[in-house]
Amino acid sequence: MKATLVKKPIGMLVLINLLAFLLLFFYRKPHNLQILYVGGSIMVLNVITYSVIVFLKLGDEYLFLIASMLITVGVVMLCRLNYTLGIAQVGWYLASLGVFYVTYIAYRYINFWSNLKWLYFALSVALYILTLTVGVTINGAKNWIVVGGHSFQPVEVIKVLFIFFLAARLTGNNKKILNLPENYATAFFAFIFIAFLLFQREWGIMLLFFFCYITLIYIYDSNKLFVALNVLVCTVVGVAGALTMHHIAVRIHTWKNPWSDISNTGYQITQSLFAIAAGGFFGTGIGMGRPDFIPEAHSDFIFSAICEEMGVFGGVAVILLYLIFIYRGIKIVLTLPKGFDKCAALGITIMFAFQTFIIIGGVIKLIPLTGITLPFISSGGSSLVSSFISLGVLQAMSARGNEHGK
Amino acid sequence: MVNKKIIKVLMFIVFLFVLLIGHLTYFIVFKKDEVSQNSHNKRLWAYEEDIVRGEIADRNGIVLAFSKEGERIYNYNSLYCHVIGYNSKIYGKTNIESKFNSLLLGRGGLTEVFNLSGDGKVGYDLTLTIDHRLQHYAYGRLGNANGSIVAINPQTGEVLALVSKPDFDPSNAVLIKKWTELTENSNSPLLARATSGLYPPGSTFKIITSAAAIEKGMDNDMYSDTGSVIIGNTAFYNYGKKANGEIDFKKAFALSSNFAFCSMGAALTSPTLRDMAQRFGFDKTFDFDIDFSKSAFAAKDTDEAGSAALAIGQGETLATPLQMALTACAVANDGVIMKPYIVQKATNKNGNLVYEKKPQQLYKPITSEVSEKIKDLMVETVKTGTGKNAGIRNISVAGKTGTAENELLGKENNKEHAWFVGFAPADDSQIVVAVMLEYSGGSGGELCAPIARDIINTYLKK
Repeated sequence: MKATLVKKPIGMLVLINLLAFLLLFFYRKPHNLQILYVGGSIMVLNVITYSVIVFLKLGDEYLFLIASMLITVGVVMLCRLNYTLGIAQVGWYLASLGVFYVTYIAYRYINFWSNLKWLYFALSVALYILTLTVGVTINGAKNWIVVGGHSFQPVEVIKVLFIFFLAARLTGNNKKILNLPENYATAFFAFIFIAFLLFQREWGIMLLFFFCYITLIYIYDSNKLFVALNVLVCTVVGVAGALTMHHIAVRIHTWKNPWSDISNTGYQITQSLFAIAAGGFFGTGIGMGRPDFIPEAHSDFIFSAICEEMGVFGGVAVILLYLIFIYRGIKIVLTLPKGFDKCAALGITIMFAFQTFIIIGGVIKLIPLTGITLPFISSGGSSLVSSFISLGVLQAMSARGNEHGK
Repeated sequence: MVNKKIIKVLMFIVFLFVLLIGHLTYFIVFKKDEVSQNSHNKRLWAYEEDIVRGEIADRNGIVLAFSKEGERIYNYNSLYCHVIGYNSKIYGKTNIESKFNSLLLGRGGLTEVFNLSGDGKVGYDLTLTIDHRLQHYAYGRLGNANGSIVAINPQTGEVLALVSKPDFDPSNAVLIKKWTELTENSNSPLLARATSGLYPPGSTFKIITSAAAIEKGMDNDMYSDTGSVIIGNTAFYNYGKKANGEIDFKKAFALSSNFAFCSMGAALTSPTLRDMAQRFGFDKTFDFDIDFSKSAFAAKDTDEAGSAALAIGQGETLATPLQMALTACAVANDGVIMKPYIVQKATNKNGNLVYEKKPQQLYKPITSEVSEKIKDLMVETVKTGTGKNAGIRNISVAGKTGTAENELLGKENNKEHAWFVGFAPADDSQIVVAVMLEYSGGSGGELCAPIARDIINTYLKK
């Protein structure tokens, strides 16, 4: 019986929780009991949520398993960097689970989500304007709002709204606007979403929205010429940006040769590469490397910190976890009948995929670096809550897909 | 239709993720070392601050370098600057301090796999092959001249002494104070002449020419040495234009007759000489315990006159004193050059061995028959020829002198490089010595042979 428990994924998850947090507890002197509390809380939250999903038959059980494994990796790393960050992250995890259940129930039992496209758009624009007017600049991007001492990023919510808006436009009946053909009107509004990001200098999310938009119209628009035209427009906008905007030009130059200016523009990416190189294939071991040398090691660059201490094998394992997550997501999408649900589930899944690719590709210097969080792993409430809203939607759809299949 | 496209998108995403994994793997396999060694990598020093760097001792346990309170202390100041090198946060690391950095920090070596506890607060200690007594003697014997002395045990490849002058104090405090002066000094004190200085080898190259001549069966030829010979359109003279009369091969070598060797070189031609030089290690490199320069034989084939010049170690050929010592090693050790090394072992604080170098063959340029013949020539040189000053009573010394013209020829007088390479005892060689004095103006026989004699004597008397 015990043997089979360990063989089950949840057993492995518990085992990893135990090992990682005990290791963290013992390696640092004086021993900090809080690390054990954090580890225990994570484990309890993981097991309870997993049991709820399995016993109440809330659909696909692997999505949450993978997400909770990613969260575990993230919290271990955060505790190792600065345990107050780890404690905060557990708090956010608890809150996110609440949001997850609410989203699940709301999506599972309410069916008018496809009718609210203008609400999504209006809400997004309102959030954008709010950010631009009362927002504060943290780390070079004006994308934070501070409420009662807590700062959060509205764009994390806009990400979900953007997908819902596109799904509603692409699969519903649309009235004519300004005599434009339907798809051109959709494009017009999609580019409004993207244009706001320009003012916030959110290059990472801009790129992410481009990718998601193009992929969705590739799938849902049978007019190849229109798709090609959109790709062309995105490319022209990108090239024009690189040529005219200093910020983008610097990033591309830094990507091509970060070593020419290590102490300035190349600082972040070279520190990231130093960390990955220090880890090698097997890593230095948790607590034995120097991820504190990496700037933003708790958020955008957390993948480099993972590679340093858990090795490139650890990093590859994380990449593969995302890949399985995305595979499960696509599998759910394929079981759903044609319509809004399918498109929204697809949008959410590919958004996870592209976001992961953009930030990991950035910190390993495969593509130019644009600041964006690593879903489920990076420190921060907005990102985690947003990811769990998406997860809640996917979870509800997987339950629907099961019903549909029966 | 939609599902088909979704699967295509999934395939594309899989492709992107495989790209991530591929790039990471590529980075670790091909870029890791280069990136980690970048001087901007704070980890290089961060690890070291917590670790007491290992000691470095000579072959008899005399401590040459150790660390105290984060400072690297060199017990003999400048004596080992071109062997151990320096270890500076600002100027980096060189020589042993650089190549053996991991072991000195207690990483790497045999125990790495088992050393999971991270208990690496103390580095490993290195034991060198250098004999401090000999090193110290050689250093003093070289005096204030610019030049170098290399001493090697030809049977094992152990480097016994390695001195280059001018030198400098490698301690961090002195480096900080004198760095500009050291880098701008026209005497280049930072250049390790013994291993990285490249010089025309002059007549010491005749060892290699002889090897080629013996293989071609030219060692029974006779020469009527008139003191000068014209080959092509070029005149070649003996040292001091001295005519040696009717001489055989052995005498030609012992008296260092350019008349004979230029004629030989013209007959052998440059490709044959190049082939033989490369067999002795010219144009080749190997992994050595400190950085060194590759010695280079003339790259282009040349006419008779050019080949004649190459045969007497002039022309485009450049060699390090280390290379000429290795050349003598082949003769001293039955045609085999053992791979030279300076660090014989590393031990942890409990005295357990974590690294050990075993003698191994580097090159075998000639057969033992050929090496015996050349040895006879070199013994004759010390007995009756240009190397007489290297002779020691009751010990059979073998050697070859050299006086090499250089880029100052015709501009300034008396600026030739003086060379001597030799070994003893001839029938069971314990030590090979190469002595080189740059721009000394004297002959190898006058200036270098006595130094080599004293070093051999000091070492064998022990």
